Amino acid sequence: MITLTSPVETVFHRVPAGVKLGLLCVATTGLFLLGSLAGQLAALGLVAALYALPGARFARAGLAALRPVALFAALIAVWHLATGTVAEGAVIVLRLVSAVALANLVTMTTRLSDMLAVLHGLTAPLRRLGLRTRPLELAISLVIRFIPVLSAKGAALAESYRARSPRRRPGWRIAAPLAGVALDDAERVAEALRARGGLSEGAKR
Amino acid sequence: MSEIRLDGAGYGVAEREILRPLTLSLRERRIGIVGRNGSGKSTLARLLAGLIAPTQGAVKVGGDDIYADRKAALARVGILFQNPDHQIIFPTCGEEVTFGLAQQGRRDAEAAARAALKSFGKAHWWDRPVGSLSGGQRHLLCLVAVLAMAPEWLILDEPFAGLDIPTTRALHGRLAKLEQRVVMISHDLAALEGFDRVIWIEGGAVAADGPAGEVLAAFRAAMEGVGDDHTDLAG
Ligand SMILES: Nc1ncnc2c1ncn2[C@@H]1O[C@H](COP(=O)(O)OP(=O)(O)OP(=O)(O)O)[C@@H](O)[C@H]1O
Ligand SMILES: [Mg+2]
Repeated sequence: MITLTSPVETVFHRVPAGVKLGLLCVATTGLFLLGSLAGQLAALGLVAALYALPGARFARAGLAALRPVALFAALIAVWHLATGTVAEGAVIVLRLVSAVALANLVTMTTRLSDMLAVLHGLTAPLRRLGLRTRPLELAISLVIRFIPVLSAKGAALAESYRARSPRRRPGWRIAAPLAGVALDDAERVAEALRARGGLSEGAKR
Repeated sequence: MSEIRLDGAGYGVAEREILRPLTLSLRERRIGIVGRNGSGKSTLARLLAGLIAPTQGAVKVGGDDIYADRKAALARVGILFQNPDHQIIFPTCGEEVTFGLAQQGRRDAEAAARAALKSFGKAHWWDRPVGSLSGGQRHLLCLVAVLAMAPEWLILDEPFAGLDIPTTRALHGRLAKLEQRVVMISHDLAALEGFDRVIWIEGGAVAADGPAGEVLAAFRAAMEGVGDDHTDLAG
């Protein structure tokens, strides 16, 4: 979910990251204040329109990125159906989908380095106090880079397992090897960072 | 130009000696390293680049302790890892190339990174997620990132592995023109033919060290004579 990138260059790419993040904050707060079903429906319609703006390909990618939310939405829906609070449930589900969709939209159309630049600006007061904020920025990049790497490794392990097993799904059997792979990777990233100066000598941006 | 000096530098993990203490002085423009799988070539490369500290002895480049002083090391040595996936840190190509330059404290890091990609005809890679590159393309990205930092020494651990013929040829041409000193590990002996010096590593020690012609001939002859009982693949 974190590796979201847009398949096409959109108008949103040209909006400065700080502006987008600011708008996202405002919009999300708005979504949480908005209690009416009609209001939430309108909000979702607006979000859908934003996704439609850059074209069908972008909209499809956006929709695919929402898949993980579907599970949560379904869970919430089931709960509210069971407790007989359907209208309330609908508001919550709509709000959830809109909020995540908006966050995805920003992620899909903003370069990581631009997001980090915003963070860098926001943490300026901390630096003035003498705290080093570069490790924080790097850590964020690393998480974003390595979540897909780890899931790819998991998939590779599963494939390798399948190649030598009659079972189709390895399930828990690859948990231990995957943990081992993760530790190995951590060591290697440390080395890759070291090869390019490590954490200690941050650049002045 | 700086010189790489190993003074009785050795490396071992948990009682196991991977590199026997080596005393070497590297100053030639082109140095090749050959040896069998598991002989210790990559370990030597990591020592030369200051990624690991020798467990005994010392490694210095131009007098700097490159393990302890990473700031100095960045200008001294750059390394191309054997496996590009171990080298790439960032999600997009542009960020990957920019990082090292920013670490060097360059203010024009981003512009320089764009120029570096462009010089390889890969300007369009800028926003490309690294995960979407093929193995060979990732290797090339790592190379671009290291070359952009323009260190005095380039340590290349099997730079041609996984590259196609045109890319390999282009890379050969580029490396030949480089001002910098190069230490290149390769299993492709032809690639080391014109080098000033070749070092043959065997079982963590230097088996031969001298002009490319002699060492490569000896290495080739020795490899032809090796049986196929796989005993040497044992770690
Ligand atoms: N972290 C480690 N822990 C234990 N053993 C290691 C470690 N790293 C390397 N080795 C061992 O050290 C030896 C040398 O490894 P190295 O990677 O330097 O070989 P190499 O010459 O580069 O081989 P190849 O041609 O296959 O790349 C091998 O026997 C390897 O198993
Ligand atoms: Mg190796």
